[in-house]
Amino acid sequence: MTQPPNGFDPNDPIGTWRAWRDASLDAWAKSLTAMVNTETFSQAIGAQLDALLAISGPIQQTVQQYMERYLAQAQLPSRSEMVTLASRLTNIEFRLDDMQAQLDELTSLVRQLATNGTLAPTDVSVIGDRLTAIEEQLTALAAARPAARARKTTSEDKE
Amino acid sequence: MTSSDAAPIDLERMTEQLLKEIERTTKSSDMAARIATNRIRVAVGQTPKEQIWALNKMRLYHYYPMVPPEQRKPVPLLLVFALINRPYIFDLRPGNSFVEYMLRHGYEVYLLDWGRPGLEDANYDFEDFSLKFLPRAIRAMKRHSGKQEFSMLGWCIGATIVTIYAAMRPDDGLRNLILLTAPIDFSDKEGSTFSRWLNTEYYNVDELVRQFGNVPAAIIEYGNKMLKPVENYIGTYLKLWDNLDNPAVVEAWLAMNTWVTDNVDFPGAAFRQWVVEFFRENRLMENKLMMEGRVVDLANIKANLLNVIADKDHIVPNCQSRSIMDRVGSKDKKLIELKGGHIGIMVGSGASKRAWPQIEEWLSERSK
Repeated sequence: MTQPPNGFDPNDPIGTWRAWRDASLDAWAKSLTAMVNTETFSQAIGAQLDALLAISGPIQQTVQQYMERYLAQAQLPSRSEMVTLASRLTNIEFRLDDMQAQLDELTSLVRQLATNGTLAPTDVSVIGDRLTAIEEQLTALAAARPAARARKTTSEDKE
Repeated sequence: MTSSDAAPIDLERMTEQLLKEIERTTKSSDMAARIATNRIRVAVGQTPKEQIWALNKMRLYHYYPMVPPEQRKPVPLLLVFALINRPYIFDLRPGNSFVEYMLRHGYEVYLLDWGRPGLEDANYDFEDFSLKFLPRAIRAMKRHSGKQEFSMLGWCIGATIVTIYAAMRPDDGLRNLILLTAPIDFSDKEGSTFSRWLNTEYYNVDELVRQFGNVPAAIIEYGNKMLKPVENYIGTYLKLWDNLDNPAVVEAWLAMNTWVTDNVDFPGAAFRQWVVEFFRENRLMENKLMMEGRVVDLANIKANLLNVIADKDHIVPNCQSRSIMDRVGSKDKKLIELKGGHIGIMVGSGASKRAWPQIEEWLSERSK
């Protein structure tokens, strides 16, 4: 196929149109991008915002006043009351998050103490002593039990 | 080449081309109708994850690791995106996901989602986001990962937030800080279109915030699109029209369009501070930004710093991101300039060949 000069192919009108479209769009994009970066356009953006605010301000105020009255009569919470409630919930969430963090910190400290050997030897010796004491008491109890049973049997026989 | 070289008129070929175009247009019209009526949807943010923490609207996600424990990096990575868009841009589509890429390279990846602010959040400003919310998310991440040191990547306004955090909490365990297209230095008023628009004389930010509480997402989106009106309002749709017979391109376009149109309101107080204290008064760079009663001093940043900028960024021009390199106290710091735009560097077709490997390589050396 012969390569068309300068990208123009008379037998491909769609391709030619597309190339023209893209070139025009590029030129248009460049000029509009330059335009939005001007002082005049900045003023226009500001004016656009002012117009929006000038229209929306009174409308928002009217709707808000009407809704406040309507919701109060309907025994329903207003938007500002819901916002206050949501803020309070968020504050509670923050406190809970901090408490959770403190709890985690304490738990990890206890685990650390238990694993790094600071608590363990003391604990083990204390527990060992207490177990020995319990064992001694159990042995004494076991020795005392047959004697007590024997005494009980003797007294029952007498009766 | 002379005019005699021009191809002769060939009616048969011309008819063939026209028929081909008619056939394509018929197919494309069907696809266009399906897109217009929302019959085609593309799932975004698909990498499996779990939510490990929530506070108010914020959510912290942990992505399930993709490599065995022995291959994982010991320093977790937290991703923080801007306040005005959704963070799933980090994980747009399978195969085109930074999150997936980092997981495959053995990172423990966490993602902070700021959520959609309600009216009750209108009073939150950058101090809240940087020093009240972010540290709590980091605390939750440390608790979950069991690691005290971490890396953090902030993108766009998210980069400003993490920069403030790094300057104010230098001893909190932040080992590596990555900034992507970070708006920090607003001294060049001519260099940025936004700087012109947000000029004190023209832009009534106080009244805007007073009336709306949070600045509506539609206003933010309009501003972003008007930076390049032809590309955003016409060019993108023509690109779609030209490729409607190519499912892969359609899918990629739909995913990107889903994200681009999924905007979030800008919390009022933060927006006002953004316009007045950052854009107009450039307080962060001039050491005048006060938070918690102290100056936010960039010299306090000690973490290793990687600053990534995009050569064709029209939203955050390079002049806003570059100069932080001379101000931070980090001994290990690097600046990379990549080909692409504000979002394109991390999502476009070249991201997996340029940005991601460079970020990963830098981070890998510092995550041992």
